[in-house]
Amino acid sequence: MSSFLTSRNVADVLGGITNGVIYSLVALSLVLVWRSTRILNFAQGAMAMIATYIGFAVLAPTTSYWISMAVAILSGLVIGGATERVIVRVLYGKPEINPVVAMVGFLLVLESVAAAIWSTASRGLATPFSMVDWQLNHKPVAMSPFALYEIITAVVVMSVIAGLFQFTKLGLRLRAAALAPEVSRLLGVRVGRMLTLGWMLSSAVGAVTAVLVASNYFTGLTPTAMDGVFAFGFIAAAIGGLDSPVGALLSGIALGVILQFVGDYLNSNAIILVALGMLIVSLMVRPNGVFTRSAQRRV
Amino acid sequence: MRGVRSNQRVVAGTALGVAAVLASILGVGTARAATAFSIASVVLVACATVLSSSEFRRNHPVAARAAISLLAVDVSIVLTAFFSATVDDNLAIGAAMSIVLLGLSFLTGSSGQISLGNGAFMGVGAFTVAVWANHHPTTPIAVVLILAVVAGALVGLLLGLPATRLRGPYLAGMTLAFSVAFGAVLNLFGTWTGGDSGLQLPTAVNAPAWVLHFFKAGTSSLTTNSVWLVDITIVTAGIALFFMANLFASRTGRAMRLVRDNDVAAELVGISLPRARVIAFIVSASYAALGGGLWTLINNAVTPSTYGFALSVTILSLVVIGGIGTIPGALIGGLIYAFAANVIAWFTAHTGLNPQGNVASQLNGIIFGGLLVLTILFAPTGIAGFVRRRFAAWRAR
Repeated sequence: MSSFLTSRNVADVLGGITNGVIYSLVALSLVLVWRSTRILNFAQGAMAMIATYIGFAVLAPTTSYWISMAVAILSGLVIGGATERVIVRVLYGKPEINPVVAMVGFLLVLESVAAAIWSTASRGLATPFSMVDWQLNHKPVAMSPFALYEIITAVVVMSVIAGLFQFTKLGLRLRAAALAPEVSRLLGVRVGRMLTLGWMLSSAVGAVTAVLVASNYFTGLTPTAMDGVFAFGFIAAAIGGLDSPVGALLSGIALGVILQFVGDYLNSNAIILVALGMLIVSLMVRPNGVFTRSAQRRV
Repeated sequence: MRGVRSNQRVVAGTALGVAAVLASILGVGTARAATAFSIASVVLVACATVLSSSEFRRNHPVAARAAISLLAVDVSIVLTAFFSATVDDNLAIGAAMSIVLLGLSFLTGSSGQISLGNGAFMGVGAFTVAVWANHHPTTPIAVVLILAVVAGALVGLLLGLPATRLRGPYLAGMTLAFSVAFGAVLNLFGTWTGGDSGLQLPTAVNAPAWVLHFFKAGTSSLTTNSVWLVDITIVTAGIALFFMANLFASRTGRAMRLVRDNDVAAELVGISLPRARVIAFIVSASYAALGGGLWTLINNAVTPSTYGFALSVTILSLVVIGGIGTIPGALIGGLIYAFAANVIAWFTAHTGLNPQGNVASQLNGIIFGGLLVLTILFAPTGIAGFVRRRFAAWRAR
């Protein structure tokens, strides 16, 4: 049993899940916004990165990790809401490339402003958890206190979002505003506010993700720290289906595990290539995602 | 010259041409330089004369487009003789960039798609040129550039296949993933591409002997070794412009604009959507590869870090600010790119920012990103669209 737990394949699965939950969170953040406003938020990673900088650069080193995390989440909420009110609201009903262009421009502005204020140097966050793997019979298990903390945080965030959407009146209004805005407006739902709230939630999920990514000793916090993570998160969301939160979560974890095996058995340069190949194949076979019920485009 | 009859126009044109030749001979010291300037001014006057006739523009659209391209190339090449070497270099970089922008403009203007991977497609062309030139240093550069275009088209086809079934944001996300993955691709084939450090060209590109022999005279020669590459880039950009103008106006181009405006209607009149989308994507990838190949020639080297995601975003901002989906927009974008660094350096110097500081080094991104957001929110047609509307309003008065 103990040799099984320290074996190469189990190590790959565990490491894959640790990476995969991060992709799942990014994918979830994208899905939350896509479902309600039909906008793919290319600035998702950059918005989250700014929230993390606000939490950790403004307050550090005087305050604790958890207070900084809370500030980052609050900043995420504010940034998300402000983005929806100021930039996104102008884009509803425009040709579908306009939001893409606007969000890419916003991404560029955010990354440049962050680099102008906080420089491009990587900044380590003092995590309360060790990144050294646990030992079993003097062999490392591919799981450290920090990795476990990542997974647990991700599960908590997903549960909170799922609970909010499934079991509360607010969640019902959010879903109604996303699925049938006209009808829900007639029934008294403030659709505009719900859309803003959707962006705030998405941005807060992003802030948690960015804190986790930046807490990792190897990446640290840089203005472009979220670029690569965003690419994988988008691939997960597109494979799972941008309309399906469950699909996003599952495909994020599956992607993490598969890519961990690719990196271990093939070559670390092949990881993003395999991910791109999976994206291309899945989009050709099921353009709307693996987990969405195939829906014809409305004309 | 509206209202002037055609024979009068010919007379006026001939007179202008003779005057230009005389001015060249009197104004320039040596016989060879005078010959060169005379040829240039005769071409200029001929093109302008032909283009001034609206009848000609209507009846011979292809020839008119050729004349416009020739005129632009002619003026640019003459100007390179007067600019400093730095400005020439900027112009060449910008001319190559405007080829890339033409490609992206076609993709968006004709099929309503957007690509965030054109920086990586440039990289495909750039590395094709560098790798080929390192293995076969004697190949003529025209052949090498055609190889770059072919390589770009092949990669474009590969990535364009799913594009047949994708709409706006999905395609943008996929091309984003490609531009993030491009560095890893280069590393995977590190033995060919030189890994992180990139490649040097084995020899600098030099002008052929006969060109040097003909023009190497006096002080203000039109073509010496230093401006040879600049001239090649400008001529290539002119050819690319000519093809693109014809493509925009062709049956394919018109079909694609219908795809952009209403893809359901396009399908109903028998246009194959997948085919139209893949063609647009391949054209845009080939144009990007051509621009990248020219960059390799101009810099005499290629580094992978140039062709990252940031370049793709820059390309997108240039094409949107210039005027997305239009040919003038692409040319304006290329000009902006050529001189943006100078303008920002001037700005830094005059505002007293520390040129090595954080803010100054990020000004480029802040300005381009901000302009990109503002343009798409408040003037989605860009500079070209703005000018066209002003001009139309002025004509209507």
